[in-house]
Amino acid sequence: MKRRNLILSGLGITGALIVGWGVLPARSRMGKPDNKLPTEGEVALNGWIKIAKDGGVVLAMHRSDMGQGIHNALSMLVAEELNVPLKQIRLEQAGHDSIYGNVAMFVGTLPFHPLQSEGVDKPFLVHSGEWIVGKVARELGVNATGGSSSVKDAWEHLRLAAATAKASLCLAAADQWKVPLQEIKVKDGGISHASGKSAHFGEFAQAAAAQTPQNVSLKDRKDWTLIGKPSARADVPAKTDGTAVFGMDVRLPNMLFASVVQVPQMGGTLSSFDAKEALAMPGVVKCVQLTSAAGSAPGFAVVAKSTWHAKQAADKVKAQWAQRMEGAIDTKRIESELKEKLKSEKGFTFHEQGDAAKAESSAARMIEAQYKAPYLAHATMEPMNCTAQFKSGSLEIWAPTQVPGLARAAAAKVANVSADKVKVNVTLLGGGFGRRLEADVVAQATQIAMALDGVPVQMVWSREQDMSHDFYRPMHVAQLSAALNAKGEVESLRIKSAGDAISPRWMSRVLPALSGPFDAPDKTTAEGLFDLPYGFANQHMSHVSTRMGVPVGFWRSVGHSHNAFFSESFIDELAFETKQDPLAFRLSLLKQAPRYAAVLKLAAEKANWGSALPAGHAHGLAFHESFGSIVAQVAEVSIQGSMPRVHRVVCAIDCGTVVNPGTVAQQVESSVNFALSAAMFGKIDIQEGVVQQTNFTNYTLVHMAQSPVVETWIVPSMQPPEGVGEPAVPPLAPAVANAMFKLTGQRIRSLPLKA
Amino acid sequence: MNLNINGSNLAIDVDPQMPLLWVLRDSLNLTGTKFGCGIAVCGACTVHQDGQAVRSCVTPVASVAGAKIQTIESLGTPEKPHPLQLAWIAEQVPQCGYCQSGMLMAAAALLKRKPKPNDADIDEAMTNLCRCGTYQRVRAAIHRAAGAQA
Repeated sequence: MKRRNLILSGLGITGALIVGWGVLPARSRMGKPDNKLPTEGEVALNGWIKIAKDGGVVLAMHRSDMGQGIHNALSMLVAEELNVPLKQIRLEQAGHDSIYGNVAMFVGTLPFHPLQSEGVDKPFLVHSGEWIVGKVARELGVNATGGSSSVKDAWEHLRLAAATAKASLCLAAADQWKVPLQEIKVKDGGISHASGKSAHFGEFAQAAAAQTPQNVSLKDRKDWTLIGKPSARADVPAKTDGTAVFGMDVRLPNMLFASVVQVPQMGGTLSSFDAKEALAMPGVVKCVQLTSAAGSAPGFAVVAKSTWHAKQAADKVKAQWAQRMEGAIDTKRIESELKEKLKSEKGFTFHEQGDAAKAESSAARMIEAQYKAPYLAHATMEPMNCTAQFKSGSLEIWAPTQVPGLARAAAAKVANVSADKVKVNVTLLGGGFGRRLEADVVAQATQIAMALDGVPVQMVWSREQDMSHDFYRPMHVAQLSAALNAKGEVESLRIKSAGDAISPRWMSRVLPALSGPFDAPDKTTAEGLFDLPYGFANQHMSHVSTRMGVPVGFWRSVGHSHNAFFSESFIDELAFETKQDPLAFRLSLLKQAPRYAAVLKLAAEKANWGSALPAGHAHGLAFHESFGSIVAQVAEVSIQGSMPRVHRVVCAIDCGTVVNPGTVAQQVESSVNFALSAAMFGKIDIQEGVVQQTNFTNYTLVHMAQSPVVETWIVPSMQPPEGVGEPAVPPLAPAVANAMFKLTGQRIRSLPLKA
Repeated sequence: MNLNINGSNLAIDVDPQMPLLWVLRDSLNLTGTKFGCGIAVCGACTVHQDGQAVRSCVTPVASVAGAKIQTIESLGTPEKPHPLQLAWIAEQVPQCGYCQSGMLMAAAALLKRKPKPNDADIDEAMTNLCRCGTYQRVRAAIHRAAGAQA
């Protein structure tokens, strides 16, 4: 496939769909006042901002908070431009409108090399690709919280919406007080004039709604009082006293509870079930068969007066299951098939530079290695759940979801009602990590609600169901090879990987109308391999896309999560084989990329790279760009038994302009621990179609005593904001593995890490 | 069955085998206590039974009849927050926040037993799982609260 066609398939759709679609300029994402439901006493100034009677600012919150602090960050953007204290911002869930779609996330799916797509002089191909996909994404208006994109996406239009609201309020005040506009001051959450007049926003809200300010400009960054300074998160107090409402905490009058059992054999079916014994148990109301929808597995739900009664009864249902037609899924077999395909299939070339084949044919020495990463589960602390009520032809959903619009569409399809008959209430998410970009549980809860006409039902999966019915981070394998010349210098880097593509599978589950019969090349397969900043003269990066039958999904940092382990471990191998210090070797390859080198140098400096460590300790280094942000990590590691013990991780990050440095530090700490759990323990095995890991006993997470000290150092930047929620995940595993190599002399090429 | 929860005596008609967690959450609507694993591994369901941290997901309600049960909802009050709650805010501990009720209850039981815990004490007592990796802030907040209590 030619690169040109690839751009058009960046969204997994064909070029034909795009032709003839109208242009929706970025500015129109400000929306109109009627984008929002009118609420008594409040005046909408645009699609984002309403002014309350008491002068409070109501912000349409379109993104889901799963711990990343996005509610606070977006509130900061609005408070900054409106010159109000953060506590004056109140949040209200945004409605369904294309202005709330996530354009940045979809533009981020384009497979461009970052060094070729940065800055104002980006090539025409990159520019036009981003323009087309941006346009389509604006039309689609898919509201998704993912891809570390929320601040990046909101950065311009949300500040513009706030600045415009402020300008309207100022115009209204100037009119009413009959003073020149330039003498109006907005500060401390209100409007004032040198004459001594002052009032809160509420007094001008109606008049402001009739204004159409011209020439609205954003604040200069030197005038920022909130952006760039640590801000105490508004959501924290409720998370210390039990009042924060997660999906499972929704309580409705006369609510019932459902426990779910799904086919244990992956891809299998429910042949028959006998619920007689279960239905006779105390507190049990009903047993509902669940059919597959939005990617959910078939099974059944038992509805009872408590989650426990439902679970006890569900365990008593006698079910007959059948393996899938194609035969039982087995991860051992998948691994050997992937290795075979790596050899036998050509794959799609994501990046080519110079002539790798020529360098290889004249190489004095080749260095080659094969790497592997397993399937992984998300294991959010809050197990999958959803609450639904179907009443008089309308459906109401309460869900901890990253995709409210797609959830609504999935529910409407199951209920066979139009989307406007479905209301989705987004709760707080007890972790997301990509698992809640799916709508499977919403489709299931809808089926249950339909069967319990009028009664609200909260469906909660057991941890065992959650672990065994995930959309897993796919297993990938990679062959890496480097050609060395007679002087021992690396002339070329070739990387070929194999594994399932996530995007087309996800599309088929949540956006089936846009899902085609053929998979377009998916950036998530090769990200972190084809887009390396290192200046090897000759490069060739390709991927063999497979379909192994395991349901695969987006797992925090997606393809980067395994590909950084492959690439950064191999870079360390090359440093060792060419007898160079891992830091010096990388820096020598980053001469054309000073922004990257600066991050690496900062981490090395703060970690005292090269200094003496306690006996049995070693430093490992890794470096990776993802979601627009560049991260370097130095891990201090020792070996305990056969396991790494990670004592300290020093992390430097360049994520462009920072909104809340406090959140950046939190996300780095979070990413390091999340990645460390996977690096030390993470592995999903499937035998005879059955997921072998069941709970935290055999899918282990890092706990307090194993958790490293994490230091975060932010590179000051004038660039627009980039991703924060994921980019510190990918470098952790290779940093630890590279330290283990120093300690043991053994190169570990498979995850999880074992000495 | 007679229960004492957060200082109130309640007479409640429940299955004696029902785990305390589900009595709290589904019968009494005290949803601050969370379900995470159901097998006493993750600690999200931690409450106090006569001042000791217990994992309510495996605690049959009959076994706590007569005991004083305390949940996150009564750890402090808006007027008089527990020092740990203040420390949690000062250190900006929670991210998604789902595990934090259990973390706080485990930490409160630790401080009751050991008002000035060292790092090893914290490692030993705080076995709760947090998927957001808030561990170093949990540790800092416990030290902060221990200092404030002195």
